Amino acid sequence: MLQKLESFFMPLAEKIGKNKYLIAVRDGFLLSMPLLIVGSFFLLIANFPIPGWTEFWGQFFGENWASYFAKPTDATFSIMAILAVVGIGYSFAEQMKVDRLFGAAISLVCWFLIMPYEILFEESVVSGIPLGWVGSKGIFVGIICAFLAVHVYAWVDSKGWVIKMPDGVPPTVEKSFAALIPAGMSVLVFFVINVIFAMTPYGNAFDFVFEILQTPLLALGNTLPAMVIAYIFLHFFWFFGVNGGSVVGAVFNPILQTLSAENLAAFQAGDAMPNIICQQFQDLFATFGGAGSTLSLLIAMLLFCKSKRIKELGKLAIIPGCFGINEPIIFGLPILLNPMMLIPFMLVPTINIIISYICMSIGLAPICTGVAIPWTMPVIISGFLSTGWQGAVLQALLLILGVFLYMPFIKMMDKQYLADETKGTDETEDEDDFSLDDLSFDDM
Amino acid sequence: MKIVMIFDQIQSGLGTKDDTMVPLTGKKEAVGPAVMMQPYLKETGGRVMACLCCGNGTYLADPDEVSRKLCAMVNKVKPDIVICGPAFNYADYAAMCARVADDINRTTEAKAFAAMSQENEETIAAYKDKVMIVKTPKKGGMGLNDSLKHICQVAKALADGDPGLEALKQNVCF
Repeated sequence: MLQKLESFFMPLAEKIGKNKYLIAVRDGFLLSMPLLIVGSFFLLIANFPIPGWTEFWGQFFGENWASYFAKPTDATFSIMAILAVVGIGYSFAEQMKVDRLFGAAISLVCWFLIMPYEILFEESVVSGIPLGWVGSKGIFVGIICAFLAVHVYAWVDSKGWVIKMPDGVPPTVEKSFAALIPAGMSVLVFFVINVIFAMTPYGNAFDFVFEILQTPLLALGNTLPAMVIAYIFLHFFWFFGVNGGSVVGAVFNPILQTLSAENLAAFQAGDAMPNIICQQFQDLFATFGGAGSTLSLLIAMLLFCKSKRIKELGKLAIIPGCFGINEPIIFGLPILLNPMMLIPFMLVPTINIIISYICMSIGLAPICTGVAIPWTMPVIISGFLSTGWQGAVLQALLLILGVFLYMPFIKMMDKQYLADETKGTDETEDEDDFSLDDLSFDDM
Repeated sequence: MKIVMIFDQIQSGLGTKDDTMVPLTGKKEAVGPAVMMQPYLKETGGRVMACLCCGNGTYLADPDEVSRKLCAMVNKVKPDIVICGPAFNYADYAAMCARVADDINRTTEAKAFAAMSQENEETIAAYKDKVMIVKTPKKGGMGLNDSLKHICQVAKALADGDPGLEALKQNVCF
């Protein structure tokens, strides 16, 4: 059964994992990740989830103190599409084997080329770069632009239609001239695209992509079934040794990050957060301690297991586990290719997602603010920072529930290991003709 | 077929990638990849009699001494086959696997081979003509199950002195 599933799903994982477009999107978004966390840090100081926080500090620093802290957020979150376009252009150029810096630059230029420089000001339209389009609303059109611009660039480059300089010209100057014709062709293509869209009822490509692609995709991603299915796949891939987060994230993360950015914009404006499913929902409420929510498993190992090796592994892995690192348990227990752990490994995150979703939809816990919290932030603290005390309590309860869901399965393994350990001291010793003492390196 | 496996701290579940100074340790039970390989071990009639574990930092601090001790331990427990790995793309562990497999082949009666991913270019270039190195995916890469199967097939062919070993080597080794 497992072999059949493997032969069906692994080629799919391989296709996704090796797809150059998805790799470019995944790696491209990594550029913005640290910057969004830095921006979030300032926003969190201004809006710490304790009632009366802003007013309390307002007594000392003046009423507008929080607005200064909003500026780093404006410089990161509000322009996140620029970071995405540059990052994706750069990494896609790497995939297409052309100059990465020019790939990033041409993507940005082509994206700006088709962007309407129009801002509504006191009921009239004035010229300017609209913040809406350089923020979350412009991400999907940015992804498409980066792909198309670099494709055109790489195509012209591959045809050899480049200006060649004589020997002795410095390499930087040579590169710069070599980029001239490919960059010119990319700009020409986007010039035509811009003219074509101007003749449609949409008026520009940004409005078209936002309405036709981004809005429906976000609506699809912002559903419980989408999240559950994505996470079942993610854990299934991990079970076969494939980094599920990387495969599923390549498809799902751009949607989640855009949903987060919408939440953050609402949070900044003091409005209700629109999206339950978002990047923080995934990072902070689906799993605790890494894929499979293995922090619950570690607690179960420490509390209920008797075999030496499971207890030792539990002690050793609990501290990294608190910070979301679960390599020792994934490889060492192991969870990979271990049929006994497959069911809880997939079940616990699914239950976490369903319960968190229900709690947030009926208002028992607030929706994540979109503030980017690193996934390494320990459980309970991360829930508190992202949603307030209710989120911390929800995380704690889910963590405990996970312990009980993992318990019967790890106890089965424990029983088997305990039997092996006892057998190891009587039967196998004779069979192998050496004892554990023989395996001591002390006297060598 | 009696097998000894040699692991780093991660594969043996004795530490994270930062716990590099885990000392040389021996375990009688199958741990980490030895557990993952169980179905294929059954198919090939193999049994992991011990897992020897060493932190990457412990190895790098004195490769000669660590290799000498591992060879001495192999001489003591007398397995048919020693599997060094799978090291995936952990560079230091891969270097240890190749070096130790080579030393075991030269100084003990056991037959040893290594297993790692193609990312360990330097180690593969330096050792592929001296020891068999079975291809594995990198950590989180495609084809883990297949590579574990290949490791067991190579172990079996090596232990039996199977004439098909050379053909198998062409298919599954660097």
